[in-house]
Amino acid sequence: MTGISTRMPGEVVFSFVLVILSLVIFWQAYSISGFSSISSPGSLPLAASAIMVMSACFSFVKTLKKPLENHTLFFTHVLPPIVSIILAFILIYSVVLEKLGFIVSTFTFLVISIQFLYRKHFLITLGLALISLITVYVVFRLIFQVILPEGIVPEREIIAAIRNLFS
Amino acid sequence: MKKTIISAIAAIAFSSAALADYPTKDIQGIIQWGAGGSTDTVMRAITPHVEKELGKSIILSNRTGGVGVIATRFVESRRADGYTLLLGAENPQMYKVLGLADIDYNDMIPVNIIARGTPIFVAHNDAPFNTMTEFVEYAKANPGKVRTGSTGAGGLTSIVLAMLDSQVKVDLTTIPYDGDGPALTALQGGTIDIMPAVLGAAIEHIRAGRLKAIGLVDVEANDLLPGVAPIVDEIPGFSSYLPWGPFFGVFVKNGTPDSVVETLTNAYSKGAEHPDFVDLINGRGFTMMNISGDEARQFLDSYRSVSSWLVHDAGFSKNSPEEFGIPRPNN
Amino acid sequence: MFEALQYFSISWVSPELMFLTALGTFLGIYVGAIPGLSVTMAVSILISFTFSWDVNSALCLMVGVYMGGVYGGSRTAILLNIPGAPSAIATALDGYPLAQQGKAGEAIGLSTVMSVIGGFVGIIVLAVAAPHVSDFALTFQPRDYLLLGLLGILLVGSLSGGNMAKGLFAGAFGILIGTVGLDPLTAEERFTYGVVELWSGINPIAVMIGLFGITEALSQLHHMDKVAVKQRIDRLIPKWGDVKKYLPLSLRSSAIGVGVGSLPGVGGDIAALMAYDQAKRSTKNPEVEFGKGAKEGLVAPESANNAAVGGAYIPMLTLGIPGDAVTAVFIGALFIHGLNPGPMLMIERPEMFWFTVGNLTLANIFVLIFGLTGIRLFSKIVECPKGILIPVIFLLSIVGAYSINNSIADVWWMLGFGMLGYFFKMYGVPVGPIILGVILSRLIDDNWRRAIMSERGDLSNFFINMISSPLSATLLLAIILILLSQTPIWKKVFKPKNT
Repeated sequence: MTGISTRMPGEVVFSFVLVILSLVIFWQAYSISGFSSISSPGSLPLAASAIMVMSACFSFVKTLKKPLENHTLFFTHVLPPIVSIILAFILIYSVVLEKLGFIVSTFTFLVISIQFLYRKHFLITLGLALISLITVYVVFRLIFQVILPEGIVPEREIIAAIRNLFS
Repeated sequence: MKKTIISAIAAIAFSSAALADYPTKDIQGIIQWGAGGSTDTVMRAITPHVEKELGKSIILSNRTGGVGVIATRFVESRRADGYTLLLGAENPQMYKVLGLADIDYNDMIPVNIIARGTPIFVAHNDAPFNTMTEFVEYAKANPGKVRTGSTGAGGLTSIVLAMLDSQVKVDLTTIPYDGDGPALTALQGGTIDIMPAVLGAAIEHIRAGRLKAIGLVDVEANDLLPGVAPIVDEIPGFSSYLPWGPFFGVFVKNGTPDSVVETLTNAYSKGAEHPDFVDLINGRGFTMMNISGDEARQFLDSYRSVSSWLVHDAGFSKNSPEEFGIPRPNN
Repeated sequence: MFEALQYFSISWVSPELMFLTALGTFLGIYVGAIPGLSVTMAVSILISFTFSWDVNSALCLMVGVYMGGVYGGSRTAILLNIPGAPSAIATALDGYPLAQQGKAGEAIGLSTVMSVIGGFVGIIVLAVAAPHVSDFALTFQPRDYLLLGLLGILLVGSLSGGNMAKGLFAGAFGILIGTVGLDPLTAEERFTYGVVELWSGINPIAVMIGLFGITEALSQLHHMDKVAVKQRIDRLIPKWGDVKKYLPLSLRSSAIGVGVGSLPGVGGDIAALMAYDQAKRSTKNPEVEFGKGAKEGLVAPESANNAAVGGAYIPMLTLGIPGDAVTAVFIGALFIHGLNPGPMLMIERPEMFWFTVGNLTLANIFVLIFGLTGIRLFSKIVECPKGILIPVIFLLSIVGAYSINNSIADVWWMLGFGMLGYFFKMYGVPVGPIILGVILSRLIDDNWRRAIMSERGDLSNFFINMISSPLSATLLLAIILILLSQTPIWKKVFKPKNT
């Protein structure tokens, strides 16, 4: 993406947002400890945000000078529907992850997103989702003992029950 | 649908049995500090012995950050069923006066206070002083010249230096570090000249002659360091604060059923008696405590009142200990 | 000497220990490859698991995991553009483009051989010069760490892909992300707004998974109709000629790796990035441009991060000071097994030193064996239909971010940075400098302030000491030379000779 002499749709807004963002951060960095001393907790944040402000302004001015790329639209070339939809899937997934628990939410997420992107027979999707879920669960939860969110499935009780069956 | 029915049945079946004979499932142990630190080492060393007593596994995870506040708040947010343990160090006892959180160990149930550490002043080998008296004299003659490390407000070094400050006024240049490990490394490299550290972290370096012991912050000498005088011999005023030291303990949320606390207390006190564990604690220069119940509460109270008032008098507290009804230590 | 050899070979002559080392290395490769599962975490779990074992057996397994894990990070970096660990960030920069050109197998093969070379360099330095290196490492003052951090930040130039302003913006942004949380030196709140979850800061691994994994997966959605590139699997083990050609670069990078790795508190992640920068500067005419699949960009970080393993062991075995997070856990493990790691360990228990050296050597050989087998299967991952691969990448990223600290907050940060990275990428802001900034932020911030505080805020003393100390002066000179070499005047004077 280097050396482009044209700008993408939305780039002006984007560059402007960066300028605003940098200014806000600079102000926030200043409020940590002001210009009290060069070894204060706020000194590096202040220096870094100053660089951000300068480079953001520089980029913004440069962007304004560039002509708009022909035949490009924000919602086809920058944020096409497929990206927005998948983003929505992921966001919903991570919101319900703790509430519903890892097993239920992950399975649902995998089935929906694989079906949406891969578009094969539903049973294939189901199988793929199941295999991925089991692999991840075994590796993370059983081998590496990462306590994944349990949510509505009482996993520890079930694991204890299974262990009791064998012992 | 089927899944939810099965899980619902399982939940009912197990929850009725839960209280009857704790523990019926694996327990989660939340370590306040990061992997490889002393809290982590002590907790990972005692856990297998405790597991043997309990007959169930304790799954350990480190939840670090915010001087331990994050782990403490996490355990507080769980159910009071004894399935989530807080494996922590002394820090929460300072949360209230430092304004870090509105809870401390007095709002929890101590299962076991496992061990306590002893602070010690250690110095770079080339430092022009060998005892506390010489150090104080040198520091007074060269204000600002002596550099010391600090591990943050409320950390061991800040409290011991506050003790010193309450007795003699010396002007030291303080360089902050994020833990006594990095600070001791800097001490060996000569970036700093002297600092108080926990004996366990410094002992091997002292034994190897890479650092010198200046004064043991305790009322009596330690077997591991023959010939190092306790600080009260040179600065008697310290005795009103001592014995004082950082500690490691196991805690559960308030409201945990008594029977569960009892089971845990028994398991931990037996686990702490295991010879291998005792060796580890002694070898690292810690003092075995293995106390619970009222004894533990008294210890926690005394630690909190000594440290809170020291910090408050030294002027780096956010809130006065009085606000929380923390009494001044009786000297 | 004979005794040393005897201790060295303990794990070579016992089939049991050999098997455990092999098992550890094998597991380590997967731990390293899976984002969010760290070697530190795996070794911690192994402490409990091997509690009742004999100390040698326990160490064999753990050393294997460490060696395998550092190597394993390159796998997912090359195949999916998700570095398994921060030390593999630089590997992703050129490894992933290679995989996209159908050369995943070749890239894995080359990275394996270079990792093993790096590993051996680290081990050799550990074996012959450990006490000297650790004494030297201790002489580093805060100002030297600061200079090292600045040397690292110069890499922004290499990572910004020609757009310096946007690169600077990204680098500074990364530094700011790194400062979020309670200030580790004064416990002052920075950008936390009273949110306790922010006190420990934003986890760099969460940022890394987001910026690499999620950003790339989202951009891949633009090309769903494009079929995945067919992987060439005819040339997996690099040709001898290639190895010979890259050997000088690999040795230079390994030296950086051991040196940086042996400094307490600075690890393989910074070593790998610095080696990458060094490779980019010293390679006069690369066959392929850096960032587009240059093999030099793969050789340097892979040699450096594995060399850093030996480096990290240097202060740990000689002084009981951890060189990185993993060796800190090793120190805990030694305590639990009744040993007293510290400066006396080498005197009282010299067998531990040589046993570890022997064991690392063995593990390194297993890295070569396991690394070169199964490449064919792994390169197939890239050929997997995007409709399946992309959801699985999202799943791995989310679970990985969660696993870092069992916290949903890390998942949010990971996703947030993933989305941000996506827009940055769309509008030509390079994301590499962000992660560079995040990694170097603490090093620069802490040591800048320590350096100033130790001079009591006196800047003139600070500069006088910087010039009068040979170490600081050398580092300063290196920075100045690198900066000068980017100015037009320098290029006019020196470039014509080469082209």
